[in-house]
Amino acid sequence: MRRPIAVIGLGNTLMSDDGIGVHVVQRLSGLGDKYPSVEFIDAGTGGVSVLYIIEGRQKVIFIDCARMGEQPGLIKRFTLDQAGSNKILTGRTLHEADLLKVLDMAKKLCQLQGEVVIFGIEPDRISAGMELSKLLAERIDHYVSVICDELQ
Amino acid sequence: MSKAVNVNVHHVTRIEGHGNIVVNAKNGRIEKVQWQVPEAPRFFEAMVRGRSYDDIQIIVSRICGICSISHSLAATKAVEAAVGLDVSEQSDKIRLLMHYSEQLQSHVLHIGYLAVPDFFGVPSVVPLVAKAGDVVKTVIRLHRLANEWSDLIAGRTTHPVTLKPGGLTRIPSEEQLRDLQQKLKSCVPDLKVVVETVLSVAEHIPNFDRPTEYVSLKQNKPPAYTFYHGEIGSTDYSGTIPINKWKTVANEYVSDQSTAKWAKWHRDSYAVGALARFNNNGELLSPLAKDIAKKVGLKKGCSNPFMNTVAQLVECAHIVEGSIVLIDELLSRGLKQEKPSGTPRAGKASGCVEAPRGILFHEYEFDRKGRCMAADICIPTNQNHANIQKDFEKLVPQIIHEGEDAVRRKLEMLVRAYDPCVSCSTHLLDVTFVK
Repeated sequence: MRRPIAVIGLGNTLMSDDGIGVHVVQRLSGLGDKYPSVEFIDAGTGGVSVLYIIEGRQKVIFIDCARMGEQPGLIKRFTLDQAGSNKILTGRTLHEADLLKVLDMAKKLCQLQGEVVIFGIEPDRISAGMELSKLLAERIDHYVSVICDELQ
Repeated sequence: MSKAVNVNVHHVTRIEGHGNIVVNAKNGRIEKVQWQVPEAPRFFEAMVRGRSYDDIQIIVSRICGICSISHSLAATKAVEAAVGLDVSEQSDKIRLLMHYSEQLQSHVLHIGYLAVPDFFGVPSVVPLVAKAGDVVKTVIRLHRLANEWSDLIAGRTTHPVTLKPGGLTRIPSEEQLRDLQQKLKSCVPDLKVVVETVLSVAEHIPNFDRPTEYVSLKQNKPPAYTFYHGEIGSTDYSGTIPINKWKTVANEYVSDQSTAKWAKWHRDSYAVGALARFNNNGELLSPLAKDIAKKVGLKKGCSNPFMNTVAQLVECAHIVEGSIVLIDELLSRGLKQEKPSGTPRAGKASGCVEAPRGILFHEYEFDRKGRCMAADICIPTNQNHANIQKDFEKLVPQIIHEGEDAVRRKLEMLVRAYDPCVSCSTHLLDVTFVK
């Protein structure tokens, strides 16, 4: 049986802060024993594969790098009805990804029934590299605690 | 009165490159036809330099979320050849089973979410629910099966974690394999539903023909429709080329209209992908795949790039049937727990697999301590760019009289048929909050 709650980290760990969601969920995975009803998932850049991961869950929590016009390093909680996407997708390839559009599609295909919460983290540096920016690396404990609070 | 046709489909966002379509014509005279690819430089190769031989497959799995298993497998094969590690027959078979899961996952997504909406004349899979809801549900079921399959063998849906130079860190149990085999057998009716759907809208597949060279893996010993073993073959060449000599095939060069490298071999362009595999190896397909090819009218020698999607559909059946046989082979010998072992030596070698979008090459060089000195990766999409340009140059004069909207739609549909991988670098959200 699938666990009812999924915490899903997204992003590309080869593009510095773009991979922050994956870094946070990898840290959270170490706390798995404390949260028996929660599955922590590193979904990387799987794009539409999240359709499968979210199916049948009571609640899904996404952690992703997000340009929100905020100060770099800030983490912000929002729900689907609170945000609109600025991304333009070509519809020509499976390789483009926009979480908000994928979730909208999931709703319309009836694959998303549970609650969805997104934690966006404003990047400081998006460029080739496996290391997070100093700013985000120093705040990772804070991001983990914010997600743990959401799970209480 | 002059009549101008101008198609400028620009999709360059701040970081990602998506490929631009440019057509300019005046009074029926075509002035410009271009497939422009503003792709980010291939920085991944620099990223693995200095890393240990057993880290490479994990790092490169992040290059692409759709083709992550293919990148990891190509890298692992190259690493093993370079540092001199052997792989057991059992590990080799389980890896092939892992590879098949990604092919099915990617093909089902491409057919169901990108191509079939085109055939139905709707902009995406969402409005397709109203027109063909059962088909969408079928596609979702097949996609779910492929994802569960990747989870089981690769350790997760994307970015595999069970691969290691010399073997695998974890293998499925015999019971899990039997369960997977049963699910594969049960999915055949779903595959047939997708075939019938494609058949019902097949008249919407554009009738276009441009002979070109098709390049893919070819396996002669024993002959097989291959995604994983063998050497490099071509419809323009009767022999095969060893994997380590892939650079004499790709002949990568820089085009003024692209920051991605292009490729050519015997002609001024070549194609890779499902249609290339079919054109090189079609007679070696499984029985159901052959039946489907016959039903949808796909024959060896097909040079209609729009039929790439149909070749993917045929391959889905081959993958399912091939995997059922592969699981039988694994179970009949009994699974053994094996531990990857061996000491690396200095060396340089290439590895190759068929990614869903076509032949993929990785090459690495290591020092005596197993540290990576150099890397080179050649992705299928780069090998297709020149071919897309040549398709444009032939197709546009044939359709220019149909007007801007039709030209745009057909060129976008053509690019979709190749499903290029040009935006795998970043995936961040870009949002505005509702006030």
